Amino acid sequence: MIVLGKIIAVHSYKGGTGKTLLSLNLAATLVKHGKKVCLFDLDFRAPSLSTLLKVEKTEYWLNDYLNGTCEIDKVLIDLSSKIQNTGKLFVGLANPVTEAIRDMSAKDRKWEMRALGRLLALRNSLLNDKGFDYLIFDTSPGLQYSSINAIVSADFVLVATTLDMSDVDGTRRMLRELYDLFEKKTEIVLNKVLQDVSSKSGKEEIQARIKDIYQVPLLGIVPCFCDVLKGAGNIIFAQEKPEHPLTKILEDIVIKIEDLK
Amino acid sequence: MAKQEFLSKKPLQVLEKIRENLERLNEKMEIMIELQKHGRKDIQPLPETPLDVMTLLSMPDHLRKTAMTVCRLGRATAEEIAQQTHRARAVESAYLNQLMIMGYLKKERKGRKAYFYVERENQG
Repeated sequence: MIVLGKIIAVHSYKGGTGKTLLSLNLAATLVKHGKKVCLFDLDFRAPSLSTLLKVEKTEYWLNDYLNGTCEIDKVLIDLSSKIQNTGKLFVGLANPVTEAIRDMSAKDRKWEMRALGRLLALRNSLLNDKGFDYLIFDTSPGLQYSSINAIVSADFVLVATTLDMSDVDGTRRMLRELYDLFEKKTEIVLNKVLQDVSSKSGKEEIQARIKDIYQVPLLGIVPCFCDVLKGAGNIIFAQEKPEHPLTKILEDIVIKIEDLK
Repeated sequence: MAKQEFLSKKPLQVLEKIRENLERLNEKMEIMIELQKHGRKDIQPLPETPLDVMTLLSMPDHLRKTAMTVCRLGRATAEEIAQQTHRARAVESAYLNQLMIMGYLKKERKGRKAYFYVERENQG
């Protein structure tokens, strides 16, 4: 049986658009809604979730699962106790050791094909058998094997983008030449917005602009928050700052995601 | 009684057999057409080629759709692929055989059914 709308790949053209921040906070928000969520760090070139989530040691990494040397249940770490909520949060981490990064960037086509098979198999092993509600893939920016594998395996692609010129241009190209070709449902989250979007007209203006540029729906607008930078990655806003505007925006995004068919 | 049953079933069985043979003939023709397109005479598919995402990206749209569906289902008949892509079974059968000849898919017969799949386990 194919369960639809449950595997979300968070991707972008450029780095630093907020993929990891969005992935982590979306996962936390879904957990708040009582969901069983697994967050995967598929950014093998620059792993970050092990640091952000302060997981010091693990016996197996996602690298091992993709290499075919262990099964997925060995990789998953249960962080539900860290997040005091009704749902459950598990993570699968990328190995941040330099040697592991080097090893992952030297894989051949055949390995990448098998890795795709193993990512595709997660639908069955985690969604169908283990009862997970959502899998979130945090990916590397741009056109890379690991990211495209994640996109192909996903039901829905959330594209994080900014209004930076090079980002806009690249994102537009990726929409046409990547997501469209794989017939993926794609929506945009516009991040680091400096314009005032607190008023209805300000928001509508940006919405119209994005619709015009990308021709895909806008899932959310995230203003540029200094608090996020000040947090230095130490704060999961969705969990620790319930009153923060970012948390409210994430709530709205998650409601839309839960409605996706 | 037994004789009557046998008689009534026979034409159906014969028809079924004819259909089966026609399907196989059709498949063989598809393969021959494909080989001719590539100017080859041998019936052997091209050496196994990995069906990775970059290859999927570079494929023509109609083949990508079929190949992606095989990737998703793991192992499937033309009939099962057709159900997913909402295209005719015969169309999918042609594309699947084309992908097999190109070396991306493997085919295995089980009784009357032909299953297509991506060979992933073969370490090399």
